[in-house]
Formats: sequence, structure tokens, C-alpha cells
Amino acid sequence: MATGVDQAVGMGLVLFSLALFSYYSVWVVVLPFMDGDHMLQQYFLPREYSVILPGIAAVVLLLMIGAFTAAVVWMNHKPKKVD
Amino acid sequence: MTKLMQWLFGASLLGGLWALVSFDLLDLNLPHTYREVAWPMPLYLLVSFGCFSLATVGYRVATFNDCDAAAKELQEQIREAREDLRRRGLKM
Repeated sequence: MATGVDQAVGMGLVLFSLALFSYYSVWVVVLPFMDGDHMLQQYFLPREYSVILPGIAAVVLLLMIGAFTAAVVWMNHKPKKVD
Repeated sequence: MTKLMQWLFGASLLGGLWALVSFDLLDLNLPHTYREVAWPMPLYLLVSFGCFSLATVGYRVATFNDCDAAAKELQEQIREAREDLRRRGLKM
């Protein structure tokens, strides 16, 4: 079995993704079937955010990948020799 | 029919079904709640797939067996590779 920190990080990832999946599922699938004044509704943001927040996350992810690629390419750019 | 064509066919079928329900293309006048659940479906499936991938990676990290000898050998090889690349001019 993996030791210490590895196990903690791995299990943390599993629990985080489970929590995220449950929250998002209730938000998107369960909430429309409940009344507007149900007690559960107060724990969730308005429904528009269920589309906007993943969109922002995707943009941020792509930005970071692009920035990393740009940084590595820029640091290894060698100007062509002139003969 | 190639695999690509099969996947594209299936995807366009599902996409058509989704568009039909979300944008009411056939004027079926489904109840409002069903349309509200169907509309974010592509994004929801994408988020679920991301969660599943994250959970798989996390689980495999947690249950991976330690191999000390291989770990030492790998560290040594990483060091050598870094040295070699640095000599050839790759800046990290």
C-alpha cells in the first residue's frame, strides 16, 4: 500500500470529487423538481451559476496550460543562425 | 462504417435529441422542469466525467504499492537526464 502523504492525497482527491459530483448533481438534476421555498434551496446558488462556474474553471485551466506551454517554449527559443 | 463515423453518428443522435428537448424544436410543450433539467446535460456529463477521472487518479495514487529500489533508480535517472538536458542547453 502507498504510504502516508500519498494515501492522504489520494483519498482527499476521491472525497473531493465525490463531494463535487453530489453537489453538482443535486444542483442540476434534483433542484428543478423542488418548490421554490424548499429549505434545501438556500444551500445552492442561483441556477445560472451552475453553467457559469464550470465555464470559468475551464477557461482558467486552459489559460494555465497555455501559459505553461508558452513559458517553456519561450525559454527554449534559439534565434536562427545567420550564414 | 469506420469507428469515427459510428461515434459521430451516435453523438449527433444524442445531440439532436438534446436540442429537441432543450429548444422545443417540435413544439411538444414538455413540462418546464424537464426542459430545465435537460438543458445543462452536456455540461453536466462533462463535469461528471471530470469528477470520475479525478476520483480514479486519486484512488490509484492512494493504492499504489511502494517500490523502494525502483524509486531510487528513477531518482538517479531523473538526475542524469536533467544533467544531460542542461548540458545540451534546455533551460527549465
